Parts: sequence; C-alpha cells; structure tokens
Amino acid sequence: MSKEDNHIAPPRWSQRLLRLFLRAAYLEEIEGDIDEVFEDYLEQHSVNKAKRLYSREVLKALRPALIKRLINTQKFNYLSMLQHNLLITLRGFRRHKTTFLINLIGLSTGLAASLLIFLWVSDERSVDSFHEKDDQLYRIMTHFQLSDEVVTWDYVSGRFGRAMVTEFPEVENAVWIGNKTHLPSGVMNYDQGNYETSGLFGSTNFFDVLSYKLLSGSPSEVLTNSESVVVSESTALKIFGTVEAAVGKTISYQTRFFDQEFVVTGVFEAPPSNATLQFDAVVNYELLIKRDKYANEWNGGYSQTYIVLKEGTNITAFNTKIENFMDDKVNNERFTVFVQKYSDYYLNGEYNEGALVGGRIESVRLFTIVSILILVIASINFMNLSTAQASRKMKEIGVKKAIGANRITLTLQFMIESMLISLLALVLSALLVYLLLPQFNLIAEKNIALDLKQHLPMLFWTVLATGLLAGSYPAFYLSGFNPVAVLKGKVSNIKGEEFIRKGLVIVQFTLSIIFIIGVIVINQQIKFTQNKNLGYSRDNIVTFQSRGLKSEEVITFVDRLKNTPGVTSAGNMAGDFLWGDDSGSGYWTSKNPEHRQHLFKSPKMGYDVIETMGLKIIEGRAFNPEFMDNENRIILNESAVKLLGLENPLGTKINYGNSSSREIIGVVRDFQYGSLHQAVEPMIIRFRDWGRECIVKLQAGAELNTLQRIEELHKEFHPKYNFEATYLEDDYRALYKSEENESALSNYMAGIAIIISCLGLFGLAAFTAERRTKEIGIRKILGASEFTIVRLLTQAFTKTVIIAILLAIPLSYFFSESWLSNFAYSIDLKWWIFAVAGLSSLLIAWFTIGFQTFRASRINPAQCLRNE
Amino acid sequence: MKKTKLGEFEELVLMTVVVLQEEAYGVEIKRELEDRLSETLSVGSIQSALKRMEEKGFLTSEFGEATQKRGGKRKRIYSATPYAHRVLKEMKDVRSQLWAAMPNVATS
Repeated sequence: MSKEDNHIAPPRWSQRLLRLFLRAAYLEEIEGDIDEVFEDYLEQHSVNKAKRLYSREVLKALRPALIKRLINTQKFNYLSMLQHNLLITLRGFRRHKTTFLINLIGLSTGLAASLLIFLWVSDERSVDSFHEKDDQLYRIMTHFQLSDEVVTWDYVSGRFGRAMVTEFPEVENAVWIGNKTHLPSGVMNYDQGNYETSGLFGSTNFFDVLSYKLLSGSPSEVLTNSESVVVSESTALKIFGTVEAAVGKTISYQTRFFDQEFVVTGVFEAPPSNATLQFDAVVNYELLIKRDKYANEWNGGYSQTYIVLKEGTNITAFNTKIENFMDDKVNNERFTVFVQKYSDYYLNGEYNEGALVGGRIESVRLFTIVSILILVIASINFMNLSTAQASRKMKEIGVKKAIGANRITLTLQFMIESMLISLLALVLSALLVYLLLPQFNLIAEKNIALDLKQHLPMLFWTVLATGLLAGSYPAFYLSGFNPVAVLKGKVSNIKGEEFIRKGLVIVQFTLSIIFIIGVIVINQQIKFTQNKNLGYSRDNIVTFQSRGLKSEEVITFVDRLKNTPGVTSAGNMAGDFLWGDDSGSGYWTSKNPEHRQHLFKSPKMGYDVIETMGLKIIEGRAFNPEFMDNENRIILNESAVKLLGLENPLGTKINYGNSSSREIIGVVRDFQYGSLHQAVEPMIIRFRDWGRECIVKLQAGAELNTLQRIEELHKEFHPKYNFEATYLEDDYRALYKSEENESALSNYMAGIAIIISCLGLFGLAAFTAERRTKEIGIRKILGASEFTIVRLLTQAFTKTVIIAILLAIPLSYFFSESWLSNFAYSIDLKWWIFAVAGLSSLLIAWFTIGFQTFRASRINPAQCLRNE
Repeated sequence: MKKTKLGEFEELVLMTVVVLQEEAYGVEIKRELEDRLSETLSVGSIQSALKRMEEKGFLTSEFGEATQKRGGKRKRIYSATPYAHRVLKEMKDVRSQLWAAMPNVATS
C-alpha cells in the first residue's frame, strides 16, 4: 500500500507553515493526520495535485481553534483591560484640559493641513492618468539642436505616428492631434444660432486609442472622413437640446482652418477635470493637411503624437532605437527623438539643454515635504506635553508596575492614548477639511472633493502613523521607569528628558522659521515680478483677439478702432507680449553666418504697437504708415544688435534664409517679452499689419464707455464671436498664477506651522511654570521682583528659540536660493528677511509664554508654600 | 435539554466517534463522515470540532500507535464521555418527540 521505495515528501513550505502556526500540543496528531491524507491523495491523484491538496489541507487547518495564541497569557482579559485603559485616558483628558485641548487642536489642524495637501498632491498626480492604456501610452518628444542651445518640443511631424507603427514592432498604435498652435477653434452655426467652440484635430483612431468616453457613436468610426465632427456632451446639449438629437445633424463650423458643413457623428463625455486636453469638438486631422500641406511633411512640427507601446517594452532601449529616426527624413542630424510617458509630462515637463529639469513636480514635492513637516511639528507637541506630564503619571506607572504590569502592556496603554487622540483629531480634521475644501479649491484652482470611501484607508494609515509617531517616545520613555525609585519619589534622568524636550522645541521652531522665511521670499519675489519695469507700460491697456476675419478686414477693423473716441492709440500684432513664445531662426549677417541657427524672438507687429505699448525707440523709427512699411523692414532690440555685432544698425541689411534680406529701420530698448521666467533675448520685430492680437490703450477715466464702443465695433466686424477683452495688467498677474497659488498655499501652511508650534510652547510654558511654583515662591520670599521671575522663566525658552534661529537661517538661505534660481530675474536675498523672520519668531515665542510667566510671577508665596 | 452547546457538525463528529470505537482518530473520522455525508471534509474542520468538544468535556483522548503512512507520527484516539452519551441521548429524545408531534403532512 505505502510507497516505501520512492517516497514523495509533502511540500516543504506548507509543512513549515503548519509547524510555525499550529499549537504545539496538537502538532503531532494533526500533522500525522494530514500526512496520512496526503498518502491517500498520492494514490488517487498526480503528485502535483496531491501536493496542492496538501497545501489546501494545511491552510484549512490554520483556524483559530488550532493555532497558537498570539500572546501567551491565555486568561488575559483584553476587553476589561482595554476598558480600564480607555477610562484612565478619558479621565486624564478631563483632568488636564489644557494639555488635552492643545494636543487636540494642534494635531487636528496639522492633520487637516496635511490632508488638504495630500488631496492636492494626489489630484496633481492623477492628471492625465485616466487613459485605459496609461501604462503603455507615450508622448513623442524631440530635442532640437540650435547653434547655441538645445530646445525640447512636444510636437513632431504629422507623419510621425504612422511611420512609427510601420517601422517599429514595439509600437502597437499611434494617435496624433494638432498641436496647441493648430487648434480649430471657432464658431458652429445651427438653426440661426452661433456657438463658440474650441476644437481639436484628431487622427481617425483618436477615440479608439484614448479613453474619452463616447456617449454616442462607435470609437473607430466617428472620425473616418473629413466631414465628420464629434462634439462634447455640453456642446450637444447647448446646440441640440439632447445628445440623441445631435447625432446625424448637419452643422456648419468655421475656424481659421476651414469653413464647411459637418455631420455630427458622435457625442463624447466632457474630458475629466484632471485632463490637460480640454476640448468641445474633434475633427479629422486630414482637414488640417488639406489646409496646410506642411501638416503632413517631415519638416513641419504640427502634431502632438502619442504612441501605445507593447506591454513590457524597455523604454531606454526603445529610446536609443528611435533616437535618430528623423535624421534621414529631414537630411540633418539636429533632431533627437525620444518618448516620455503621457501622464508623466504634466508634472515633469521642463527641459533645459536636452535634459529633464523637473516642472510642476517640484511644487508637488515641496508641498509633500511641507505637509509631513507640519505633521511632525504637531506630533512633537504631543510628545513634549506627554513627557512633560510624566511626573504626573509616575505614581500611576509605579503602582501598575508594582502590581505586575509589564512594559509591553504599559507601552500599549500609552499607544492607545495617543491613538485615541489622533483618532479624535482625525474626526475633527475631516470636518475641518470638509468645511475648508471649497475655499481651498478656490485658491488652488482645483475641483477636489473629499471622497471618504476612497480616502479612508489613507486616513487610517495617517492616524496610525501619527499615533505611532506621537506616542512612541512617551510610551517607551514612561514605561521604562523603575517602580521602586518612582514610588520612593526619586525621579532620575530629568536632565536628559529636558534635553530631549528642548531639542524637539528647537526642531519645531527651526521648521517654523524656515517656513516664515520661505513665505517672505516667495511674497517678495511675486511683488517684484508685479512691479518690475518691463520696458513697456501695462496701464489701461486692453487686449483681445480679432477672430474669423480676412487680413484686409483686420486692417480696416484696426483703423476704425484707432478712430474710436476714448482710444488713445491702438495697434495689432501676431504674438503675445506675455507668453513670448514666437521665435524664428534664419537671420544672419555676412560677417557671421553662424547666427543663422540662432532662434530670435520674432513677434510680428503692425503700426502703432510700439507707441501703444510705450516701448522706447533708441535709434531710427517705429513702423509708420507714411513710409509704406512692408515685411522687408525690421526693428531690432538692443540685445539683437549686440548679438549680431552691428555698429551702425540703421539701414543695415540682414540676410534672411538663402535669398532675401531685411533692412533695419529702428532699434528698440530691451523689454521683457514673455514671463520673467525667461530672460530678455535678442529680438527681431517683423512687420505684419494684419496680426489678430489687438492692443488698445484707453484714455484714463472713460474706460467703461470706451470699452462699450469697442464692443459695438467688434460686434459689427465679428457678429459671431463674443467680445473678450482683458486688461493686460490682469493677464500679467495671471501669468504668475502658479506662483501666486503657491504663495497663497505656503502662507497658510506657514501660519499653521507657527500656530501649532506656539501651541506646544504654550503648553510647555504652562507646565514649567506649574512645576516651578515652589521655586518661584521661595525666590519671591527672598526678595525677587516679578520682573526677575519673568526674566528667569523666559530665559530658558529664549535660548532654545535663538538656537532655532541660528539653525534655520543657513538652511532657509539655501532653500530660498535654489527656489529663486528658477527665475531669470529674481530678488536678492537681503539680510533683513532673515532678521524679520528671526525677530518675529522670538516675539511670537515671548508673547506665547508671556501669559504663563506673568501669571507665575504673580504667585502669592504664602499660598504655594503652604502645604509642605 | 440544558446548556449542552453541541453544534450540528459537532454532533455528527461525536456520533462518528462513538460508532468507530477504537478506530476513532482524525483521518478515520473524516473518511467515515465523508462516506456518510458524501461530501469532502478537511482535516482542519474535523480537528477543530474535536478540540472544541474535548474542551467542553464531550470527548477524552489518548495517543495511539504510529504508522509509517503517518510519517511516524502517533494517532490520537478519541472516545466519548458518559456526559456526551447523555447529551446525545437527550438530543435524540427531543428530536423524536418533535417528530411524533409533527402533523403527518409534509413528509414522504
């Protein structure tokens, strides 16, 4: 019956599991039973199956009745012990109300702040990751070699995607869209109604590959021809009333790329709020090619292309493989092609000289660290106050130990206490977050909701971590007392304890001071950017776009605009002062042909722009209708003159490309083109009198009336478009929105950090004053004045805060410097910033402990010395 | 019927122990019950029932001989206590009384 010859052993791991967990008294019998069953199985089934069944038997045998008890004392009454601990804890809370409240308030504000930041961070991280194939979805990027720098583009040729699919087996699929300068935004007409629509050119498989949900229509068919348009749900509702009514309808749609009839083939759900691509309508990319053949040429960078890579593709290897993909297509080696994960781009989208330098991820990291630090500060409060209270608890611990409590149970008790507090704090902070979220969303420009079900596990872990962090030190410290010494009234190790407590306060204040300095630096920098002399004036200037007009019409429109009463002057251009993202190369002097590669900032301005913006002409003249200027005339800025090494720029001809040349008619003083993140660069101002960006300077005092007149004029020329003029000043502020958001957030965070630190200091001061009452009493009897007492009590705290200041200054100097280096133009770190931060923290600290020390100094010695 | 606290599965195991006499050890009980119930049982379920009943005083046990099939490990032979016999009898009585009191409709 038995197989003596070739004995097959049961699986070793299961055996070990059984031996590890089964109660020792049962082991022999039950293991024997299972072994016997295993032998039966071996006779009936294959070896593998028998082994599997054996493992299953083992797992089934690991049930509460049969496994080892986790704690040896079998009769230990957990429940009543827990009850007792809870009771003691609650009584403690009631007796020491100040400490309890300080702990609770500190922890809950700290938790609330961290929670808000956590929500923000997780929202930032979720951006663009909603696509089903997120893991495989990559964006094609290129580094482009200029003569003196490398620029990085997130757009490539419109042919790129298809070629990738055929040439590389790793590429499963490719989808491409028109890049952000090729967005078909315009007006849809249906049944006499005009609807402004922001559109997107998408390749035929757009909805097939990307996860934008179609409410109607099939993903692979909605974009098959160039007469189909897919609209968003909200657009469908706006135009047709219902989603169903939209499908199959013919509408006309006009943009600067096309003006034709479309059939609505599908309706998609609005892109989620955490998508960077937001659009109301999608039309076929072929339409862009029809309008502009470069959209399908290798040397046109018209499309953003995303590819789906086969699962398990090695990205580094793939990047090496495609690196030189463009070389034979454009016959030069200036392109380096690479891919970046689609959802990574939002946070890591900044490149410098061909290397990734970060992007929004820096703020995300910064705030993650800040939130953790705030939590640490709040936990330090708890630690400090509980160890400070140790003297109150010593007797309790002594008695418990004498009766037979061991260290583990005591540790457990203190842990329960800190867990309870952090749980209470959590409830409070959840409430706080719930109340503050709308305000927070406003500041952070987000649409975050507190979804308890989704965030509950995270909350649970936070509470556990905070409870552990805050409770660990008191728990291990207090449970280590020697009962005999404690009950005799001898308390050892007070010195060491105070040392640690002071150390923790120093940590708290160092962090707070760093926060204060950080906030001052951020605010100063923002004020600086808002007041910096940009070389042009922003006062009373409104800008708006003239859309949907032919070039001749634009010229008439601008002429009419100039003659509108209340308008000081007006001009039009192509390009944008605040974004400054238009540039071009190909300009060179015969002396130095190398400059051909240089990418000059090159806005195209019409007449009167220079005058309207208040730019200073140093030499020559601005564009002027009297001279019948044309595109062969250019104006340089000082930097460009310097770069090209021109001594007498006026009248000099500059070669452009291979065959044409441009004449310099003026030189303008350097001014800021683009945000302050960019330095002032050499610029060549070209001429174009039909640019669509209108710039109007209004007469002060009559702005509203003038704006109304302009709006009427606008309506006359652009009946289908809304008039959307904005003040340049406002736009300029919006440019620094992300810094302003950061600054608002960091203001709040610094405030919270300081409040929490002060709460802790307050508690400690109260405690010290209480413990030293007798000393103070005796001092007073011996003749100490109230002032002496206040000074005495303040001294100790002053020292700690000063140490904190000394620690914080070099650290914060380092951090501020690295933050400021993100800006091309930044403030200098002045000594007063550090002085203000240090002094104010010292004052805050004094103020916090002032109340306590003052009260202590007014003690009546007769009362406090009475019972001894 | 006082506080006997004998679950249905426990009762089955207990009766099997009585039936098997000297052969009443884990695997044998499992085999017997599997035959009678025609379903598969795990060693763990039988063992935990046995341990529970031993704690409640329905069973006593002692080590029996070791066999090679068991990898040299001894069996533990279970036997029912007089108390268990009494409880089994009580339960049977209660059941038969209930059967007798049942109107003669639903069966067969």
